[in-house]
Amino acid sequence: MNCEVKVKDRIGTINPIFTCQPAGAQYVSIGVKDCIGLVHGGQGCVMFVRLLISQHLKESFEIASSSLHEDGAVFGACGRVEEGVDVLLARYPHLKVIPIISTCSTEVIGDDIDGVITKLEEGLLAEKYPDREVHLLPIHTPSFVGSMVSGYDVAVRDFVKKFARKGPSNGKINFITGWVNPGDVTELKSLLAEMQIDATVLFEIESFDSPIMPDGSEVSHGNTTIEDLVSTGSATHTFALNRYEGGKAAQFLEKKFKIPSIVGPTPIGIRNTDALLKKLSEATGKPIPASLVRKRGVALDAITDLAHMFLADKKVAIYGNADLVIGLAEFCLDLEMKPQLLLLGDDNSAYVNDPRIKALQEHVDYPMEIVTNADFWDLEDRIKNKGLELDLILGHSKGRFVSIDYDIPMVRVGFPTYDRAGLYRYPVVGYGGATWLAEQMANALFTDMEHKKRKEWLLNVW
Amino acid sequence: MPHHEFDCSKVIPERKQHAVVKGEGEDLTSCLPKGYLNTIPGSISERGCAYCGAKHVIGTPMKDVIHISHGPVGCTYDTWQTKRYISDNNNFQLKYTFATDVKEKHIVFGAESLLKQNIHEAFDAFPEIKRMTIYQTCATALIGDDINAVADEVMAERPDVDIFVCNSPGFAGPSQSGGHHKINIAWLNQKVGTVEPEITSDYVINYVGEYNIQGDQEVMQDYFKRMGIQVLSTFTGNGSYDELRGMHRAHLNVLECARSAEYICDELRARYGIPRLDIDGFGFKALGDSLRKIGLFFGIEDRAEAIIAAETARWKPELDFYAARLQGKRVCLWPGGSKLWHWANAIQEEMGVKVVSVYTKFGHQGDMEKGIARAGVGTLAIDDPNELEGQEALLRLKPDVIFTGKRPGEVAKKMRVPYLNAHAYHNGPYKGFEGWVRFARDIYNAVYSPMHQLSGIDISKDDYATDKGFVTRRMLSDATLPEADRASPLTGYTGKFDPIAALRAKTEADYPEFARKTSTQAAE
Repeated sequence: MNCEVKVKDRIGTINPIFTCQPAGAQYVSIGVKDCIGLVHGGQGCVMFVRLLISQHLKESFEIASSSLHEDGAVFGACGRVEEGVDVLLARYPHLKVIPIISTCSTEVIGDDIDGVITKLEEGLLAEKYPDREVHLLPIHTPSFVGSMVSGYDVAVRDFVKKFARKGPSNGKINFITGWVNPGDVTELKSLLAEMQIDATVLFEIESFDSPIMPDGSEVSHGNTTIEDLVSTGSATHTFALNRYEGGKAAQFLEKKFKIPSIVGPTPIGIRNTDALLKKLSEATGKPIPASLVRKRGVALDAITDLAHMFLADKKVAIYGNADLVIGLAEFCLDLEMKPQLLLLGDDNSAYVNDPRIKALQEHVDYPMEIVTNADFWDLEDRIKNKGLELDLILGHSKGRFVSIDYDIPMVRVGFPTYDRAGLYRYPVVGYGGATWLAEQMANALFTDMEHKKRKEWLLNVW
Repeated sequence: MPHHEFDCSKVIPERKQHAVVKGEGEDLTSCLPKGYLNTIPGSISERGCAYCGAKHVIGTPMKDVIHISHGPVGCTYDTWQTKRYISDNNNFQLKYTFATDVKEKHIVFGAESLLKQNIHEAFDAFPEIKRMTIYQTCATALIGDDINAVADEVMAERPDVDIFVCNSPGFAGPSQSGGHHKINIAWLNQKVGTVEPEITSDYVINYVGEYNIQGDQEVMQDYFKRMGIQVLSTFTGNGSYDELRGMHRAHLNVLECARSAEYICDELRARYGIPRLDIDGFGFKALGDSLRKIGLFFGIEDRAEAIIAAETARWKPELDFYAARLQGKRVCLWPGGSKLWHWANAIQEEMGVKVVSVYTKFGHQGDMEKGIARAGVGTLAIDDPNELEGQEALLRLKPDVIFTGKRPGEVAKKMRVPYLNAHAYHNGPYKGFEGWVRFARDIYNAVYSPMHQLSGIDISKDDYATDKGFVTRRMLSDATLPEADRASPLTGYTGKFDPIAALRAKTEADYPEFARKTSTQAAE
């Protein structure tokens, strides 16, 4: 077998690819309208995650902390959740939803956030805010389990679990995007619009690409409403585009409300987008319109200029969220490229049985490595000490120094991508994303040829 | 007591004690907000944790060290690559971070053997690095791992390595400041005095509380070397682990950021009798006075004066170019801790920029004392500000520019207030004479950005001019300027994009050679 799946062979982490679970839950929380997450733990668990997300989106948004200090760590800190909820409600009149997001410290000390919520519902909410619509939900995201990816998955499920109600069919599909960018949401919504499919898009962060308005009044916020979440229980189908970032919610809805779920494909590349459209068409009975045939053709036209002339046989390493990495690898293969190394940055034991990974193992005809629980040293060590040769790296900004120090061109993709301008605005999904990705990769290779003066004359004619 | 009550904080009355407006004739006896108290949960404070104060702020700028955090991976990831503290060893400490990757089973059964294996792996991966710092996190503090014992075991097994342990979990204190304190004292207790440094000058200092943001330390070190002063160590920007073990042999501790590093200076004074001299690398006057004070201490004022004269002659005209154009501009000076008093007076005196508000995220009352003393009448001072208070203050004060962190900067952007990064700088370094001009240049560029002017126009309502294809900063800044200033032949800053490269290219031969005193003279 040419393609090997292995677990990182070291116990520790040198330059992590992922952060921990609460960050994923926080990313979900900003996609909900009138919602401010309250992270139960030390202040750094919020301050740095806000910084990270704001670096990526170049926007701000609100997430609160229970500000665990020493006394709370020793004697229990549930009281700080109670106080935090009260302070938030008193100061943010529009606020309706407060997820209580746990962290490693408050899970270790065993604070019962479910119990606190019951207490708050019966006490504070009933007494001080009786006329106000307020929803509290616990999200357990201990940092020593999973990663930011599983934290995202858990939070999506817990939001859906909290709100979903079975009503008469609303004729809509649930459409869980996974951990994507505003540009991806725009692209996905345009596909749905072309298909004339009515969908509840979760979690809707499109408007985090927001304007400066002349009066300075604009505030970025998520667009998934409580009504959206409630209605997920009345949908005809659930589409979870990413297996590991929304798959749990799709399973929950199927089990609880018998809503058929379609998990995947991550619609990266032409083929995966085709597959998504077909599944959408099958589920809804809506035909794929001629307009999408055209849109697809535009993408293929652009990619045909690039694939077999420039991209073929280029060796690439890809790291990041599992669904993204797998989707990118599949697209690279369609582009005749040769992914050498796929790094999945957590220890999710399900990866090894992922049918997409099984397919890679079956069909790849050159040596390819897939490493789980991986860190950046798995990439750098292979380049520095083990002879891995690469033409290109695909991944997020935290790996930037591998690209810089070893002079390997890199296309920023995933989360976070703070060291390149405006990437949150562009899709990697759908036909638009396929075009954008192929062109970014080609341009990165072109720039590298010129920078290294390696066949830099090639593009005199094209 | 002229406390300021924010409308948004009326429902949390204790907040009133944390903000004041300095009134006419008022001084510190009547207007000082409370500071460094526990944070109010849910207030959306901007504070970080004690782990980050220790590891991220003070520990990691040390350059020749494997920095490993004992805990789940998030603490490490989140505090990695979010600062601009560079180093002259190809930024090793900026590029590499290590986490022991504590998982659920370790929480249950303990993580000491995990830690030990991690330490070996890290040293094996980077055989050229022989020094390590280990940072405790919330999770490993709560399960009670004995990190010191593990470190001692490894040092016994690998005699060529040395390991420092910092026990400062995230919950240890109201803010990052708790971690500053803990790592100061831990370093002193564990490491100072364990290496005997080579003394090469009659004038030997530790440069303390300096983190080499965009090269600040290297700028200041250049002045010190030009004065013939040996910088034994820098705590900690661009600092070397073994050099910092020899801090006890300095003649003087030159302290920059008192907020984060006065503890070690005070203890070095108590234990080794080394005096502490507080200095300030920001602003022509403050920097000049600082160099003079150091010169005075050692009896080499002439060397300080020569540098001040040369640097002032080179850079003052360019500072004045900006100062003429920044007069009366109003700023919210909202940094983390000490910059509120480092900058408050200097920007007003030397650039004409009026400070309308100061705040501190993790400062203590002492920082507010200095900040308020240096700020003018009407200044709004806020301790441990939160999101809504910041927005309310911006709406009320309508500043021309704000100096703050990246994320609050995004809030300001939406509210049409130009922002400069007070922690990491826009295009620093900002210390040094040239650096201060760079700061003025960045303020000018922010305030007079033609884009900022455009963003205020509502094309659906306003009657706006269409006669120009472009507008330059100069067209905006000089519109109301006196003729004499307008006629200036200068066009602003003339230095390089990266002024640090030239400093790094200097060799010992580029510095003046001063004769050492004989041992008898020195003894006298």
